[in-house]
Amino acid sequence: MNPLPVHPRTPVFDIVIEQEDLDAVAEVLRSGWLTMGPRTEAIEAEFAAHIGVRHCVATSSCTTALHLACIAAGVGPGDEVIVPSLTFVATANAVRYCGGQPIFADLIGSHDLGIDPDHIESLITPKTKAIIPVHYAGYAVPIEAIVELCERYGLALIEDAAHAPDAYVEGAGGAPRMLGSFGASGCFSFFPNKVLAVGEGGCLVTDDDQIAATARLLRSQGMTATSIDKQRGEAFAYDVVGLGFNYRFDDPRAALLMTRFRRLHGEIERRRELVHRYRSAFADFDAIDIPYSDEQVDRSSCYLMGVRVDPAIRRDFRARLIERHGVQTTIYPATHRLSAYVEAFGEVSLPQTEAVCASLASIPLFPHLSDSEQDRVIAAVKQTVEGLS
Amino acid sequence: MNPPEAAVAPQWRVMLTDWQIGEDDIEAVMETLRSGWLTMGPRTQELEARFAEISGATHAIAVSSASAALHLLCRAAGVGPGDEVIVPAISFVADAHAPRHCGGTTVLADIDSPTRPLLGVAEVEPLISERTKAVIAVHMFGYSGAADAAYELAEFCAERGVTLLEDCAQASGARYPDGRWVGSLGLAGCFSFFSKTALGVGEGGIITTDDADFAAAVRSLRSHAMSSVTWDRHRGHAETYDVGELGYNYRLDEPRATLALSRLGRLDASLADLKRIARAYRELLADLDGVELTFSAAEIEHGGHFAFPVLVADGATRDRVREQMRLAGVQSTAYPALNLLTEYLDPDAAPRAADFAARHIALPIYADLSTSDQQIVVAALADALGGQSGG
Repeated sequence: MNPLPVHPRTPVFDIVIEQEDLDAVAEVLRSGWLTMGPRTEAIEAEFAAHIGVRHCVATSSCTTALHLACIAAGVGPGDEVIVPSLTFVATANAVRYCGGQPIFADLIGSHDLGIDPDHIESLITPKTKAIIPVHYAGYAVPIEAIVELCERYGLALIEDAAHAPDAYVEGAGGAPRMLGSFGASGCFSFFPNKVLAVGEGGCLVTDDDQIAATARLLRSQGMTATSIDKQRGEAFAYDVVGLGFNYRFDDPRAALLMTRFRRLHGEIERRRELVHRYRSAFADFDAIDIPYSDEQVDRSSCYLMGVRVDPAIRRDFRARLIERHGVQTTIYPATHRLSAYVEAFGEVSLPQTEAVCASLASIPLFPHLSDSEQDRVIAAVKQTVEGLS
Repeated sequence: MNPPEAAVAPQWRVMLTDWQIGEDDIEAVMETLRSGWLTMGPRTQELEARFAEISGATHAIAVSSASAALHLLCRAAGVGPGDEVIVPAISFVADAHAPRHCGGTTVLADIDSPTRPLLGVAEVEPLISERTKAVIAVHMFGYSGAADAAYELAEFCAERGVTLLEDCAQASGARYPDGRWVGSLGLAGCFSFFSKTALGVGEGGIITTDDADFAAAVRSLRSHAMSSVTWDRHRGHAETYDVGELGYNYRLDEPRATLALSRLGRLDASLADLKRIARAYRELLADLDGVELTFSAAEIEHGGHFAFPVLVADGATRDRVREQMRLAGVQSTAYPALNLLTEYLDPDAAPRAADFAARHIALPIYADLSTSDQQIVVAALADALGGQSGG
């Protein structure tokens, strides 16, 4: 058995479970009804309303939500789906689960890590079925431009909003429009290191009745009735009308999600404040480069605080931060460079993504990170970079 | 804000299953939540170690559901495009889906008999082809079946070079007559933590195997085939992780692992209660006209007792009896034959399965089912059948 890592003094993410969370979960457990039931239905309704769409389908993870979204978009063998490489491997895997081929588009640049609409357009072929942009770190991709591309070329848009609950863009007239609401489907994650964490879990949101029906059907084996229907006496027998999965969420997690969801907005506000403090602290510090603009921060969910350093020092930068200061960091490998992808699809060149992936590291960011602890991280980062330059 | 219990169970006097979750279970989950470590941690490791120990398997790997487990079993057994996997027509549809998720083909087999809805060599043998990769034996309703039949099937698969996999989703704690746990005859087995079981946590499952390579493959595929990010790597010895092949997110999380672990401690006691209730059903129903018992008294002795299936005369009687039992507040269930589902429609493929599916009623059984509630179930069944003969 692998021993668990010793808890770092300042982890890259951390969550606090409140008494109201515990009470909500205990209540469900006492009720004895554990599989999807009234709590799942309640959080689905509330989350859909928050995003501003008609349907939310809670799932076992964001990976499985992305798979359902690809199926609902009709992705199948021979189809291509354009995805970014700076993302978790699940984004591209979802396409492969359907027999499709992920085509990697480069990102905009070191100042904005979103997928590049111009590069997307250059990759569109008659085989292209869909585009899955990722709102990396909680920052919106140029979503209107991508919506326009999808409309022009007749492509399905699936938003990977795993990082981006409560993030938005300013729509027509300046009214906010939530990320996840632009695509045919939007997919969110409730994984423990995410801004809205419950353990394993995710959801698919959509305004499209047919997509919602497909996702609901295939989430539970393709069965025409669920356990709660039978319990309520609303269904006596069921049929199976598709090749489905067990991608279900359950009620204990739904209860935890509900109480945590109600604190989400306040926590995102604090994340934005912390990101602004980081940005000010590193503004005049040449050896550290920070992507995105101050204005983008205010609309982001601020899931990750990425800093870019000289690729030549990044390994030592991370090692010294944890060893000397107890400051944890994380990095993302580029998906197109993973063995599973090189073996399946060969070498692909994405210069911007490769440059960013070699230089980027995420430093601690979570809502209860205190100003003083953050100041300690800032000092440690500066000292470490200076010592290596 | 949470809806009252009435929203879940408005009318039942006796529910199909009504497992109680103890305060010690709840406190264990609370402690895990307070720790703030919510997935793939010490509780999952402890659950896996304990489950392996109790079941007698060398390896146990916790997963998001038994359906996910079946997919991983097929994948790790090498099922791919062009391969066939034989699955009994009386099982849960996840058994039929799993080979197809690997690009393989599902071949439905008939069952031994309506009173023993399990696979036997006689049903499997005619379906074996050059492309047969695996057989999934399903311990339906928690019963491993007669000793000889199970061992014969394992021997047959070994002779033919076909991998035997065991779906024990309904059979946690069930044993073969020699005392070994189900799941131990084949290359691997899987169990369910779905809510309506002795080890129910919501959604979840676990895989058991004695094969180290198989266990390693399953463990890797469970979490996107990511090379592990150990503390050493994190301290700078390796910059990052790699992904070696196409994997999945089939992880269990720590709160659910905690609940399964806590409930596992009571499994033996629950099984003793279930056996007592199953024996009582056999006595109470023995002389009831129009009811045929399934399995044998001996099979009941080492079963897992997920549900208690009985047969009535025909499909029309069954539907009428279930409806009258529902009106009397007694919940029951019935499983469709897979070859009669739209997705797998092939009505002539499995006549005994179709007969069983049409005629069976699965009666309530769970460890806390009281004697008086059990009598309500039996009375409701008797009344419904009495109505049939005009009495």
